[in-house]
Amino acid sequence: MIAKSFAERLLGIALSGGADFAELFCEVTKNNVVSAIGNKVERANDTLVSGIGIRAFKGTRTVYSSSSDLSPEGMIACAKAVAEAMGEKTNAPSVVLTERVFPNAHPTLFVPTDTEAKRRADLLLTGCNAALDYNPAIRQVTGSLLGVDHTVLVANTEGLFATDRKIRTRIAVSALAANESDSQSGYSGPGSGCGLEFFEKVSPESVGKEAARQAMVNLGATYCPAGRMTVAIENGFGGVIFHEACGHSLEAAAVAIGASQMAGKLGQRIANPKVTAVDDGTIPNAWGSINMDDEGTPSQRNVLIENGVLKSYLVDRLGSRRMGLPMTGSGRRQSYRFEATSRMTNTFIENGPDKNEDIIASIENGLYCKHMGGGSVNPLTGAFNFAVSEGYLVKNGKIEGAVRGATLIGTGSEILQNIDMVGNNLACAEGMCGAASGSIPTNVGQPLIRVSMITVGGR
Amino acid sequence: MKFEKLKQILDEAAKDAGIVDYEIYYQSGSSLSADALKDEINSFTSSTEGGICFRCVVDGKQGYASSELLTADALRELPKIALSNAKVSSSEDEMFLFAGSPSYAKVENVQAAFPEASALCQSVLELQKSLYAESEAVGDGTQSGIAYFEDEVYLCNSKGLNLSNRVCGGFRYADVVVRKGEEAENSLAFAYEQDEDACKELAQKTVDAACARFGALTVASGKYPVVIDGKVFCDFLSAFSPIFSAKNAQKGLSRLAGKEGESIASPLVTIVDDPMREGSPIKTPFDGEGVATARREVVKDGVLTMLLYDLSTAKKAGVASTGNGQKASYAAPVLIAPYQFSIQPKNKSREELLALAKDGIFVTGCKGFHAGADAVTGDFSIESYGFKIRDGKQAEPIKSFTISGNVFELFKEIGAVGNTMFWGMPSGFTAFGSPDIFLPSVSVAGE
Repeated sequence: MIAKSFAERLLGIALSGGADFAELFCEVTKNNVVSAIGNKVERANDTLVSGIGIRAFKGTRTVYSSSSDLSPEGMIACAKAVAEAMGEKTNAPSVVLTERVFPNAHPTLFVPTDTEAKRRADLLLTGCNAALDYNPAIRQVTGSLLGVDHTVLVANTEGLFATDRKIRTRIAVSALAANESDSQSGYSGPGSGCGLEFFEKVSPESVGKEAARQAMVNLGATYCPAGRMTVAIENGFGGVIFHEACGHSLEAAAVAIGASQMAGKLGQRIANPKVTAVDDGTIPNAWGSINMDDEGTPSQRNVLIENGVLKSYLVDRLGSRRMGLPMTGSGRRQSYRFEATSRMTNTFIENGPDKNEDIIASIENGLYCKHMGGGSVNPLTGAFNFAVSEGYLVKNGKIEGAVRGATLIGTGSEILQNIDMVGNNLACAEGMCGAASGSIPTNVGQPLIRVSMITVGGR
Repeated sequence: MKFEKLKQILDEAAKDAGIVDYEIYYQSGSSLSADALKDEINSFTSSTEGGICFRCVVDGKQGYASSELLTADALRELPKIALSNAKVSSSEDEMFLFAGSPSYAKVENVQAAFPEASALCQSVLELQKSLYAESEAVGDGTQSGIAYFEDEVYLCNSKGLNLSNRVCGGFRYADVVVRKGEEAENSLAFAYEQDEDACKELAQKTVDAACARFGALTVASGKYPVVIDGKVFCDFLSAFSPIFSAKNAQKGLSRLAGKEGESIASPLVTIVDDPMREGSPIKTPFDGEGVATARREVVKDGVLTMLLYDLSTAKKAGVASTGNGQKASYAAPVLIAPYQFSIQPKNKSREELLALAKDGIFVTGCKGFHAGADAVTGDFSIESYGFKIRDGKQAEPIKSFTISGNVFELFKEIGAVGNTMFWGMPSGFTAFGSPDIFLPSVSVAGE
């Protein structure tokens, strides 16, 4: 993308405004999306995103400039904008870079953006048709198949010069089930940090059927009652509870400036001793995995909470400066338009000591959340919400009728203490996480867990 | 590279690929922003970007290809990619290009006045200082900033269409953290730079809103009369605006299908889409297909008067496009979306609405619409905070509850509409506005 000698020149210019550190991030990303309504391909869209972002630090003050102009003049103008905004005038210092090669832990067979649109369209329609054929009550289906080939280069004045390539594939199907008086929806959207070989493991049919199955369950469901109750949350996307209730509050972006409920709590018991939680960007081909983060720090496995005790935050480069803690490979961004900041990768609660059947059997009167939708959090107060996309009432230890329209709300500190049973069927699921540095792929996960008491929003 | 040069390369490449009907959409923009933390400038950012989209229509099917890499080689690839994408489309909706509307609204061309870096930083530091000056409770984590943007769009096609538009503006935000003992609360608000009154009030309003949250209690679950702050109801409109899309209606994804001319809301509800709204820095005289936009009364006194159409859905319905075929960015496909979409104000002050509720809940914040609201079914269950209403007056703050229901029922149940408009933060060409809304009975989940 950029020759090393030119990167050295750009970083020298960026430093010349009096900064003590400069970094450049350059990317070329190919995206393609095929989308369908019913059994027809609605459109196919290819996008090429390319540009550069240059950042300089002086202490904890940052200047960032980005440009889609990758001509030499465009990139030099970008570096000069950084130096000018930093405000001082020094001679451009010489910068010497050494190339580093991080091993690729995420091998890919078929780059999705390099395959024919027809092949991707056929895979998508297979999924959509499976949903349409599931039941006559399935009235409509929408779907999309996304392919991403994201190549980045990071160089900085500590001498780093490294590239990484991230390939991702994802299919998503939404199904609408309807009868004379009502309609309800279902969704399934698995993905992976690999190419089209993903569909050898996960068939498009299974995705379509799952979306349709969920829609049918919801169509037959009654409204969820409202109130405080005991809740069991299933594995996979159920892990969004930890992502929202705790994960965001462990990001240095909030912790370092005192805007997180978790600030100052390292070494303290913040969760039930059954809870061990991890952020691990190294899992081969996982949706949220990276070889290096978007600041050039190698990805690593971070134990965030061990047996209930807070062990680590998620620390990016600026957070490291502010907090005096080592970086954790957590500096991420959607694209060159964004400054990297502390973000999650694959974040999950580890398997615990409880048997899954004991968890359900222990609930006298509560809710079993088989599938969760998304959620959001206020990291300062820890107040979070997330939607239940498939739920069932539990009475006297047995799963009963399906309920719909439930939302779980609470605060992170309270919920972490209330996770009082942790099962042993850990699984992760894919999502997109939105925050200051844009929308990035992250995995959430957990085994079946029990939350002793939580507010359930319903009717 | 200038747009004319880019267009010339694409024209030649389209010809080489044998493409007759095509459209070129070019967008370029720049931004400048600074923000402060404690009493210092924390970060300063600037950006310049531009991208181009080539869309072809072949046998009534469309294909897209877009790029930010604007080299001649990269551009020459776009028609080929778009053509192969058009070939996989199997949609039965006929796509076609548009030669142009008879006339387009004139946009007052406000010259973007990006301030000098030092002046911008000075303004941000003053804003930050004004936040700390409002209350001793204001503390660490408090941030504020000012951002300016400028965006230019060129749209031309092989039917002779040749349009351009430029928008620019600036806004400031305050993200306040206040503390009292062990309690921490926050509040986020923004104002357009051109709205001097709103800018002056920003610090006080944001700090007051955060401090008012101290001592919040939980509330018992049940049905309550509710007043929803206009700022919050903007988010409701945003989450459920897809129900007004003719595409969704035609595909069975909106319950408003076939309801044109029918009552869908309380007679108090009139909803207007106004792409050229006074006071908005984002004025949009044409849509992503080149159709002239216009002010539309989508709902009049509770009756659905029209859906929002692009060219293809309008042709299918036998009506004219309403000019709502938007491209959210150069790379985005044409999708039906509103512009400045708002519930029109009526005559009730906030005090009168609270008096109507008598003993109920005043909802001043909602979060999690992306997961807790389903635009297809209309169901919602949303995390909220606010205040108790006692004897018709705002009382103690309350937290950690949800409000639930179905938006199609909610629209019909609106019992009164406030007299003051609030506008949400714009996204792309779209912003949502609403006055305060009174609902006689809403399901609340708390304790």
